[in-house]
Amino acid sequence: MSTPRTRSVQLAAGALGLGLLLQGCQGGLRPLPGLNQQLARLGSGQSPSLGEGWLALIASRDGGRPQVQLIDGQRQLPVPLPGLNRADSLPIQVSVDGRGEHLAVVRQRDDRTELVLYRRSLMAVQPIAIEPAGVPRRVSLSTDGRVLAVEVSRGGLWQIDLLELP
Amino acid sequence: MLLATGLGGCSLLPWRRQPAPPVGLGQETRQQPALSGDGRLLASLVERGGRTTVLLQERRSGRVLPLRHLRDHQPHSSPALSWNGRYLALLVQQGGRRQAVIEDRATGRLQPLMLPMGLEPQRLSLAPDGQRLALEVIAGGGQRIDVFDLSGLLEPDLAPGQRQSGGGEPPAP
Repeated sequence: MSTPRTRSVQLAAGALGLGLLLQGCQGGLRPLPGLNQQLARLGSGQSPSLGEGWLALIASRDGGRPQVQLIDGQRQLPVPLPGLNRADSLPIQVSVDGRGEHLAVVRQRDDRTELVLYRRSLMAVQPIAIEPAGVPRRVSLSTDGRVLAVEVSRGGLWQIDLLELP
Repeated sequence: MLLATGLGGCSLLPWRRQPAPPVGLGQETRQQPALSGDGRLLASLVERGGRTTVLLQERRSGRVLPLRHLRDHQPHSSPALSWNGRYLALLVQQGGRRQAVIEDRATGRLQPLMLPMGLEPQRLSLAPDGQRLALEVIAGGGQRIDVFDLSGLLEPDLAPGQRQSGGGEPPAP
C-alpha cells in the first residue's frame, strides 16, 4: 500500500515522464540526410512540393538559371523532364501530383507569366489559360492530379481559380 | 463525366473552371491555395481584422471548417494539407520567429515542429500521407530545401484503400 508521500512522488515522476515524452515528440523532426545531400548538390532550392515518393522543386546551381527538378525519393535522384525547362523561361512555382506524372508550373516567359501543365509520360507542356485574364503566382495540384488551384492577381486583387482536370 | 467536364468550361482546354468558394464577405483577397490530396478541401489565406489568417473550406460547397488552434499567431503562411485533410501544416508567427506547426484535425492537437537552430522557414510542403515535410529555409545566407521525416510524430493519412507502405511484397507491375 502506498503512503500519501510515495503517491505524490509517483505522480511527480509520472508528470516528469509525460513532460519528457511530449518534449521528445516535439523535438522529433528527423532530417533525411541522403535526400538532403542530394538536394544540396542541386544548389539553391525553392518552392518544394512533395508527392507520394516525389519531390518537385526549383533549383539553381552557382547563380545559374533556375530549373524545375523532380526527385525520385526512393532512388534520391533527379529524373529527366525533357521539354519542360527552357532557356527563355524562368520557373516561379511548381506543384507535383502524387505519382510524379503531372507538374503544374508557373513561369515567366517573354515578359509574361504563364501557367503550364507538364505531363511526364508524354513529355508535353500544355498551357493553361487564365480566364478572365490575370497573373498567376502560386499553384497547388491535388495528389490525385484532378484539381488545380492557382492564385491569380486580377485588378489589384489576389484571387484563387479552381480547375478540374479530366 | 469527361464529356461534362469538357463542355463545362468556355475555354478550348478540356477542363472545367470553378470559382473559388465564397466566404460570405464578397470580393476579398485570397492567397496561397493548398488542396488536400483528394482535392476535397481547400486551404487559403484571407485577411481577418488586418491579419493574414488561414481558412479551411470544402472546395465544392465553400463550407468553412473549424480550426481549433489557428485563430492567432498571425501572419499565417504556406498552408499544406495531407491526403484527406487530416493534417494542416503551415507557418505561424511565434514571438520573433516563424514556426512550422501542424494541426491534427482528427485529434484536435497542435504539433509544433522544432527546427534545428539557425533555420528560418520560408515555405513548406507536406507529403500526402503526412510522413514527410519539405521546408524551404534560409540558412547561412543561402536558400535551400531540407526534407524531414515525420513518421515518428504523425499517423499516416492514407487514401482510402491505400495500404501503409513498408509491409509485404510490392505489387506486381
